[in-house]
Amino acid sequence: MKLIAGVDIGNSTTEVCVGGVASDGTLEFLSSVSRFTTGTKGTVDNVAGIKTALEMAMEKLNRPVGDLSLIRINEAAPVIGDTAMETITETIITDSSMIGHNPSTPAGAGTAVGELLSIRHLGQGDTGTPYIVVADRSVTYEAVAELLNKAMERMQIVGVILQADEAVLVENRLKKKIPIIDEVRNVDMIPEHKMAAIEVALTGDSVRMLSNPYGIATLLDLDAEDTKAVTPIAKSLIGKSSAVVIKTPHGNVKENVLPAGEITIVSKDGNRRTINIDEGAVPIMNLLEESGEIQDMVGEAETNVGNMLSGIKNNMENLTSEQTGSVHITDILAVDTLAPVLISGALAGETCMEKAVGIAAMVKTKQLPMERIAQVLTEQIHVSVKVAGVEAVMATLGAMTTPGTTLPLAILDLGGGSTDAAMIDETGTVRMTHKAGAGELVSMLIQIELGLHSRTTAEEIKKYPVGRVESLFHMRLENGGMHFFEEAIDPRLFGSVVLIEPHDLIKIEENVAMEKIIQVRKEAKQKVFVRNALRALREIAPEHNIKKIPNIVLVGGSAEDFEVPEMLMEELAKYKIVCGRGNIRRTEGPRNAVATGLVLSYIGGKHDDE
Amino acid sequence: MTTNKPTILVYVYEPDRAIINEIQAGIEEEGVLFEIIPKTEINAFDLAFEAANESVLGSGIGISGKEVVLQMRNLNRDKPVFRYHEPDDQTCRKLGANSARAVKKMPFKI
Repeated sequence: MKLIAGVDIGNSTTEVCVGGVASDGTLEFLSSVSRFTTGTKGTVDNVAGIKTALEMAMEKLNRPVGDLSLIRINEAAPVIGDTAMETITETIITDSSMIGHNPSTPAGAGTAVGELLSIRHLGQGDTGTPYIVVADRSVTYEAVAELLNKAMERMQIVGVILQADEAVLVENRLKKKIPIIDEVRNVDMIPEHKMAAIEVALTGDSVRMLSNPYGIATLLDLDAEDTKAVTPIAKSLIGKSSAVVIKTPHGNVKENVLPAGEITIVSKDGNRRTINIDEGAVPIMNLLEESGEIQDMVGEAETNVGNMLSGIKNNMENLTSEQTGSVHITDILAVDTLAPVLISGALAGETCMEKAVGIAAMVKTKQLPMERIAQVLTEQIHVSVKVAGVEAVMATLGAMTTPGTTLPLAILDLGGGSTDAAMIDETGTVRMTHKAGAGELVSMLIQIELGLHSRTTAEEIKKYPVGRVESLFHMRLENGGMHFFEEAIDPRLFGSVVLIEPHDLIKIEENVAMEKIIQVRKEAKQKVFVRNALRALREIAPEHNIKKIPNIVLVGGSAEDFEVPEMLMEELAKYKIVCGRGNIRRTEGPRNAVATGLVLSYIGGKHDDE
Repeated sequence: MTTNKPTILVYVYEPDRAIINEIQAGIEEEGVLFEIIPKTEINAFDLAFEAANESVLGSGIGISGKEVVLQMRNLNRDKPVFRYHEPDDQTCRKLGANSARAVKKMPFKI
């Protein structure tokens, strides 16, 4: 029996499939393996990953790699994807003029207005002026309460700002109830002797007065001009449970609209179309569709989008070591998003949601040097290696091993860097397309919108359902169900939102509500995969009519996602299309289609390649 | 002795003054009621186990001298949520807060 291996190098994973061909020509699939791709797809760096994957696949058969008679590598599509994000508005609040955060236990709901005074300078206060007292961590709650109680006998104290988490402790010891805000990290940055308004919301509610420009105007006695200037402050205090607004002369707050810049789309027919990025994702995508086949895209110099697109190109030039100027962006997917941006001059680590646009771009490179990879691989493992077949055709061949499929058949390859589609009809004609934007853009959107520190957490949120640990013995699942643990779980998970991995629970360190995670995750997947699927299918469909595609098989890494296939099925059901997650060779699920196709095509093809 | 008030029970045997003060402050800041009850048992594990199972809220603390244990109802006696020997002030404050967060179903301060 001859052993043949198919190798598929993707943006994120390298897939291997090993098949045995008997002397009568019958084929039996023996093993398959999926490994991370080493280096950028289409470069010699891939060889390391291919070798490991081949070794693992052969190990399953207890045979050395040298026993293979032939390795077939796909002619990878010469497209590489990258993602980037830029904010297009920016709030700058200087001179520490506000605090807005969510301490877990502030005290004394209500609002107050007064002059700011440090607890160390209580003696300097007059009798007639209302004061808001500021105390740092070094003064104990007992001392704060005692000093305030004594001072209240001769002066008017209307509110307190604390650095330590001790609001309730102080309140319980005060003779008079006043609003107290705690956990303000940088109290030393609060300017003394300025007028300030403070507000603590009722439990479970958020601030009302200070998140309303007219509320601030009422409390701080502002004219129309100043009221306009504090609007960004009010906006950034929406949803907070406590807030302070400090009146600084000549309001040092402004909301900048950054020069977002224009994108110019150059069509193959020479037409140039230009659009400003702050029009949002939908008009950009519409213009892109109008433009037909695309030669290149450029951003206006010295603007955010310009920097973003040239950044992507530079990245690609470095990776593929092509000459400057030879890399062209042939497709983008633009997505509207909101990014929490740290406010400059913030006293408690406040952020503001700024309008942003996320872009996945696809770069068409020169033919990838697959022959070179084949050559290096042969030198290293002494097995003959052949570059065979176009990726999309191989994927379609592999996809046809899914039970219940028939020609004409379309595949949607949901990968990491790009969403590809191909359609093969009864005559064997193949139409295919590659669209920018897939799994990696989804991860980026999740990371940005939830304000996560690490991309890894975003990747995990994309992959696993969430739950909330409600006791040491049970957790609430995102579908409302409950899961019980036989033994008490790690107390560090108690009360937290966790990701449910098959054999483990991963705690999300950031303080984000479960509902928010679910909403952001689903929206990101909709924005990227559903939109891209329709875009790609429309392009390959007969007469660009999606309804003329009878069945679609989903393949690729992102087809394994726990909800993306369902989303696509729902969307495509409107067009009366049979669509579902592939099950390659009845066993592999949506993975391994290309590698399988490569082995299959050996049987169907001529054997002069040995 | 059992009580029907919704409180966190703190069972103590010759407790260290500073430790008990900080634990109290921790619970108080979180806004949960508590009772401190002197006991004759010496072992902090036993004290905490009993306190948690007798507390209406299912959260109990045992303090014996400078040994502190936080327990929740139905947990194994020998596997408490937290246990410290001669903890510093900050640790005690957090332990107090955590006994309250156990009741409020909020993530612990670690």
